[in-house]
Amino acid sequence: MTSGRRAGILAGVAVLVVLAFGPWIGGFLNIDTSFLSEVLLTAIAALGVNLLLGYTGLPIFGNAALFGLGAYGAGLAIKDFHAGFAVALLVGVAAAFVGALIIAPFLLRRRNIYFGLLSLAFGQVFYFIAYRYSDVTGGEDGMAFTRPALNLGPIRGTVTETMMYYITYGLFVLAIVSFWLIVRSPFGQTLVAIKQNELRVRYLGLNTDRFILVGILIAALYGGLGGALYGLLLRFAFPLLLDWHQSGDFVLMTMLGGAGTIFGPLVGAIIFVIGKDIISTITPAWEIFLGAFFIACVLGFPKGILGSIGDAIARRRAPAEPNETAP
Amino acid sequence: MLEQLAPQIVNGLMLGAFYASVAIGLSLIMNLTGVINMAHGSFLTLGGYFSFAMVAAGAPFWVALIAAPILTALVGLALERGLMRPLYGRDPLYSLLLTFGLSLIAEEVYRLIWGSNGVPVSAPAALQGGISLGTFQVPTIQVFTAAILVVAMSALWLFLNRTRYGLRLRAAVQDTEMIAALGTNTQTLYMVNFGLGVLLAGLAGVLAASQLGLNPTSGNALLMPAFVTVIVGGMGSLLGALAGGLLIGMTISMMTLFFPAASDVSMYVIMAVILLIRPRGLFGEEGLFG
Amino acid sequence: MSDVLLSATGISKHFGGVQAVDNVSIAVERGSIHAMIGPNGAGKTTFFNTLSGFFLPDSGTVRFEDVDITREANWRRIARGLSRTFQTPSIFPDLSVYQNLLIGTQAKRGVAFRLSLPRGKERDEIEARIEELLGFVGLGAVRRRTVSELSHGMQRLVEIAMSLSTEPKLVLLDEPMAGLAEAETDRVVGVIRDLHDRLGLTVLFVEHNMRVVLGLAQRITVLDRGRLLAEGSPGEIAADDAVRDAYLGKEIIENV
Repeated sequence: MTSGRRAGILAGVAVLVVLAFGPWIGGFLNIDTSFLSEVLLTAIAALGVNLLLGYTGLPIFGNAALFGLGAYGAGLAIKDFHAGFAVALLVGVAAAFVGALIIAPFLLRRRNIYFGLLSLAFGQVFYFIAYRYSDVTGGEDGMAFTRPALNLGPIRGTVTETMMYYITYGLFVLAIVSFWLIVRSPFGQTLVAIKQNELRVRYLGLNTDRFILVGILIAALYGGLGGALYGLLLRFAFPLLLDWHQSGDFVLMTMLGGAGTIFGPLVGAIIFVIGKDIISTITPAWEIFLGAFFIACVLGFPKGILGSIGDAIARRRAPAEPNETAP
Repeated sequence: MLEQLAPQIVNGLMLGAFYASVAIGLSLIMNLTGVINMAHGSFLTLGGYFSFAMVAAGAPFWVALIAAPILTALVGLALERGLMRPLYGRDPLYSLLLTFGLSLIAEEVYRLIWGSNGVPVSAPAALQGGISLGTFQVPTIQVFTAAILVVAMSALWLFLNRTRYGLRLRAAVQDTEMIAALGTNTQTLYMVNFGLGVLLAGLAGVLAASQLGLNPTSGNALLMPAFVTVIVGGMGSLLGALAGGLLIGMTISMMTLFFPAASDVSMYVIMAVILLIRPRGLFGEEGLFG
Repeated sequence: MSDVLLSATGISKHFGGVQAVDNVSIAVERGSIHAMIGPNGAGKTTFFNTLSGFFLPDSGTVRFEDVDITREANWRRIARGLSRTFQTPSIFPDLSVYQNLLIGTQAKRGVAFRLSLPRGKERDEIEARIEELLGFVGLGAVRRRTVSELSHGMQRLVEIAMSLSTEPKLVLLDEPMAGLAEAETDRVVGVIRDLHDRLGLTVLFVEHNMRVVLGLAQRITVLDRGRLLAEGSPGEIAADDAVRDAYLGKEIIENV
């Protein structure tokens, strides 16, 4: 293992350790614990965008739909079937998975901006379903539900905000580790190759559609998990969760933190969620700042924070290259 | 029955003309530069607000109908030159995010200037009322709107297919490098292309203000159907945008009559069906991967 | 008669109003080096594209080892033993040479779709195979270098090595010498000859450089304006008047 990789792993572990003390740090900085939970679950969902956008090179604009399906899935499981915490979570993830399974065959026929456009459109289909089928989903007003108790053998009891944080934290660690394993696996390496040159991957004998399909489904798992946690956190699901503006937010925070890096979504989520909150308390016109932020990020910071840091480190490490001659 | 049907048909034609115009504008920009203009809806709204302001200041509707789209196009050109030009060489995703950011800013600016609830816009007196077609009436404004938009789209078609500059634009869509090598100023080309797309959006916005309402997000309400129209009609085809727009407009209009609850989902159903039986869209081009 | 590895019969392809390929046939014998030449716009790359499944022909059939593959997806043809390079080297620019070869090697071994990293014996075999490929094209020294930083000629060699990673029987090379300097050309020619002499592969290549073609090919097919003009041994082609008129004369003058 190279020293660079070792340093990266250590840094990652350090971050995870720091996050374990979330509630204390939050108390110190006067930030609500539930707010920190929101940051982490948003980061989980953004990992899905990261996998498709940052690693496979596919602009996904329907991630919010998967997120929202997770929230509604959990909510419906609780409201209509009196599910416990863990089951509601699983149902939310499953709902997002099924949603992705339905739209994936359409998405697979295209690449690049058209892929993005299709994912946008299909995301909107789910938005409209949530909006229109008010009998089931509560329509525009959204759907409120209780947060059920946790009932996993020895671990049982009502889920307090602190406990909610630790559940979210635990799942975040799971998400990050699984993400790391996926991107360094042959599967993940092939996704990266697809981003570089999909045609060549096909000419190496691989059916790229299969890889992309699985990538979409994995993204749905992350998105749905984040969404289910969101629903359980707020005890509420509403249609705007699935809207393309929300999808745009996920893409922005992924790019802001650094698409193609493992902790990029976390960095992006922290800046985005906390930044949005701070700005909106200062001015009701916070969307102008959000928009300006988007633009500034896109124009000046395309690789995002971790991406730019990574580049700077790589430049410093590489010795001056001699002109290669034919050996 | 026919009394109910005729207005819906005209309404469908009008809606179709709206969707087609917006879709054509989007397509123009997408085909040449690969940019999905998420701010296209905001330009629509801007056109509406410009005309509203002009009429409120005393200008006749006809003046606003011409001046507002031009003003909108000028704003668009300024943004294109200042913000979008640096991004053309890069991944189109960046432009998409940029225009997304612009749409957020625009929405908030409209809110600050004109309020969140929108402004009431009525059609000019001369266009109110109806036209008699035999035993039933159809709203004059709708016929007028559809007619103007069709004229505008035809003018665009003529420009693209019957003028030298239009030829260069179409050639550039095929091969931008070649066109540049042959001496055309591609920067100007991109500008003109974008300007045309926004001009059409502004025009549609002026006309939509009285028909579909004018508030900070009214333009976006036309954006999604326009995207669906592009997908249904086929990427890369302006004729497809027209055909798709009509199809979707008619469907939504008919649905509103027979199955109102399903009317806004119906366009997605069409989209899904088209994608299943003819993935490239009605008039689209085949993809590369076999 | 020898065994025909790849055959195409009556291939036609048009784009809009242009008939790019018009009723062209070819039979590539197993173990031969076969060249396809013709003036620019003769339809050589288009023909290649139908052979390799980049797009489908309007009419005609393509057979590989006597199996009809005309409508088969491009990635499936690779498993059969087809392989291809492109006019502009189709590689993974931001990855290292090693990683470029890793993707194809993993694909061949059927581990590309796995979430677990290869370990132990499997990993050793993969690494050994990559070393073998690197050695064959002589790029061992630059295995860690990012491919986009390499010269055009070395990128071409990387691409050839990649096309070998899938253990093909037939390699289609589309203008392998395009854009190369003289010294690089000789090196690539050497590698192509090794594909045939050392690895026993069948090679079908498109090329403009007549010096190279006459020195390398055992059999030559000539296209002109989408149609088959002539086919035969280098001697026959060089002596063919029609070929000379259409193409050879200009080329020889250019290459002298």
